[in-house]
Amino acid sequence: MTPEQKKFAKGYRFNNFEGQPEAKISQLDIPSKVTIPLKQGFGDEVAPIVEIGQTVEAGQIIGRDDESISSPVHSSINGEVVAIEKIDYLGEETTVITIESNGNDGLQTLPGASVNWQDMPADTIDELVYLSGAASSGTSGIPTTFNSASIMPNEVENVIVQGVASQIHNISLEVLLKGDILSHFTAGLKILKKLMPKARFHMALDESQNRTISKALQLMSPVKTINVFTVPRKYPLHRDEVLIPLLLGQKIPHGYLAANIGAIVLDIPAILAVYDAVTEGIPLIEKTIALCGPGFRENTHVKARIGTCLEDILKKRTKPGKDIRLVKNSCLTGNTLTDMSLPISRTFNSIIALTEGTEREFLSFVRPGVNKDSFSRVFLSSLFEGLSPRIKKGCDTNLHGEVRPCIACGFCEDVCPVNLIPHLLFHQVQNDVIDELLINYKIFDCIDCNLCTYVCTSKIPLAKYIKDGREKLADEGLTCPEPDFPLKGVKP
Amino acid sequence: MKLVSSLIGKLHNVRALNKMKPLIDAMDAGILGPEDLTEGRPHLVDNVDIKRYMSMVILALVPATLASILFYRWDAIRLIAISYIVGGTVEVIFAIIRKHDIHEGFLITGLIFPLVLPPSTPSWIVAVGVVFGTMFGKEMFGGTGRNIFNPALVGRLFITIAFPATMTTNWKMPFAAADAVTVATPLSAFKTEGITASFTDLLIGNTAGSMGETCRIVIILGGIFLILTKVSNWRVPVCYISTVFLFALIGNHFLPERIAPPVFQVFAGGLLFGAFFMATDPVTSPFTRTGKYIFGISCGILTVLIRSFSGYVEGVMFSIVIMNAFNPLIDQIVLMFKYRPAKA
Repeated sequence: MTPEQKKFAKGYRFNNFEGQPEAKISQLDIPSKVTIPLKQGFGDEVAPIVEIGQTVEAGQIIGRDDESISSPVHSSINGEVVAIEKIDYLGEETTVITIESNGNDGLQTLPGASVNWQDMPADTIDELVYLSGAASSGTSGIPTTFNSASIMPNEVENVIVQGVASQIHNISLEVLLKGDILSHFTAGLKILKKLMPKARFHMALDESQNRTISKALQLMSPVKTINVFTVPRKYPLHRDEVLIPLLLGQKIPHGYLAANIGAIVLDIPAILAVYDAVTEGIPLIEKTIALCGPGFRENTHVKARIGTCLEDILKKRTKPGKDIRLVKNSCLTGNTLTDMSLPISRTFNSIIALTEGTEREFLSFVRPGVNKDSFSRVFLSSLFEGLSPRIKKGCDTNLHGEVRPCIACGFCEDVCPVNLIPHLLFHQVQNDVIDELLINYKIFDCIDCNLCTYVCTSKIPLAKYIKDGREKLADEGLTCPEPDFPLKGVKP
Repeated sequence: MKLVSSLIGKLHNVRALNKMKPLIDAMDAGILGPEDLTEGRPHLVDNVDIKRYMSMVILALVPATLASILFYRWDAIRLIAISYIVGGTVEVIFAIIRKHDIHEGFLITGLIFPLVLPPSTPSWIVAVGVVFGTMFGKEMFGGTGRNIFNPALVGRLFITIAFPATMTTNWKMPFAAADAVTVATPLSAFKTEGITASFTDLLIGNTAGSMGETCRIVIILGGIFLILTKVSNWRVPVCYISTVFLFALIGNHFLPERIAPPVFQVFAGGLLFGAFFMATDPVTSPFTRTGKYIFGISCGILTVLIRSFSGYVEGVMFSIVIMNAFNPLIDQIVLMFKYRPAKA
């Protein structure tokens, strides 16, 4: 079985940036205190089912709501609940439960789990996936009969496993799937197949991950029902709105999830979480996080309990004396992490430490630019592209120029993954022409990938203007027309 | 470097220079490098900026500039210096009045303009042209990014019409002495006597013509360099030049006295310079892809028509300026078709 190669003309390939995580992983100590957000990953916030002062075990469910679209949340350590409060968690008001450890390192597993999952009835799998919290993975959740996604398991037509490395820094597939974990992965897929029997399975892998691909294909060969695709290493192919049209030829209407057209997109950690839950009864209380970017002493991976505060993860790992900006998951769309007392949640894949670009570069615009990334080919770096992977491109947060009027160079249109003309929308919004014309120019197709802002020669925050434009349209009561074909499930 | 940085720091504090703020800011940013940071989402951005982008055009023009200095010595240096000094002053004055930063676009206009002039143009005419071009070609429309016409061409067009005798008959051969007799350009030689210059002479620049336009080989190299760096788009020059070639091929077959043969048409006059360096200006050419094709093809047709059937020998300048005027319309029509509302 050879994978089908998919080509993607738009988007942008981020090559050879410094600070890629090495294929090494270390286990963090169990923290003395954890803060567990009650909304993690896909789904609504759940209600706490423990009280202050109550003793909890690692793996015990502390928040659960079977009525709303949500998944349970677990304590990640053994100890005592010391606080239940609302905090501002990365821009959203979220209830969090704080637990102080009693030093015990045991773990409560889910009842009914077994390595003989082949003999397990589908509703046991269904319950284990839900109770473990694995169902909150992915962009639409994993459907179970407990309302963990906006559709039911039998409504799923396509499951896409996403192993695309399209970001500037990517978690290493080698670490995620090393050794016999690869076999867990294939077993996890078969378990999901049992849960969603009507679904066709697809896997999109990064074209550069040859070794992983060939190994995966060997293991996959008994599973005849999976289509393997290789996709280019282009941003933002990890996004459902781009990946699903590329693989399935279906479009996700604006304001809806992939689930509403019957597709579920899951990353590799999600499949492994399903395997752990069903075979060993381990709930999702741990996460592998890549430490990327030049701000770290060493770029590796760590395995940390959910709820561990950033300070515990980062201490002694970032370079001292340097002005560093910490970013969650993506240099293009990620939140800035400023409060080191905040915990990590299930949604963390990587923490990126960028050097703040406060150091000015003398006569910057005439430098050869061997390690400067650019969509255009105005730096020497474009000559070395591919020739010398040893030359790493720098990542600092300098704007690398001054804001200027748009000169219509067209770079934003060249990269836009959803075929918009960003500078056209920008001019309309800047001149405050908020009318149907913007909808006509497909402003609602924008997926906020921020790539147009990245490539802009004039340093204009195009994506921000487009977002503002959508908000202003909504203020005027102009919305995106509803799709004219039937959709599944509930509107998010 | 520390010295420069402290010097510029001091300039910022001199109260008497407050009015010159745009100039000092431009020096500050240009010499010491950019200091702003990204606001986040995206946290990282591309290293390209307008300064780098525009410097690439200057770099691509360096060979043509050197050729013109080699051919016409002090005349070339004089023209370029006047254009930069006078035009730069106008740009700075507008930046001060408007209280905005000095925009880098002038670096290109200030170099392109003298390169499309006859080498013996009097200094004061150069000054008039560059002032007119910058003011009426760019600043009147609101500055960089909003101009409809290519500023260098507006200046060139103005002095061509205002001083026709100086601007259309005053040609010299390369390496000619200051008091040498004027000669005809290849295009006018064809128009009056039906002679076509040799291909090699045209390629290396051994013909009379505007300073920077004659040495075609370096213009082609510069143009290809710009296309490879993605600074200019291939669509306009490729469509422009191939249309001229095709039109001349067919035209020459039927009207050999009026329409010059295709290879001569492509290499004579300012076509290559215009197609690679002026028609490609992103601000004054359509931004839609289809629009770029239409723009290039129309420029090509107009150029051959003007060269063959009008009182003027050269049509590149007129055709680009005429098509500049149509560029918003072309884009609007293309967008209308591209984003046609779905039929109910």
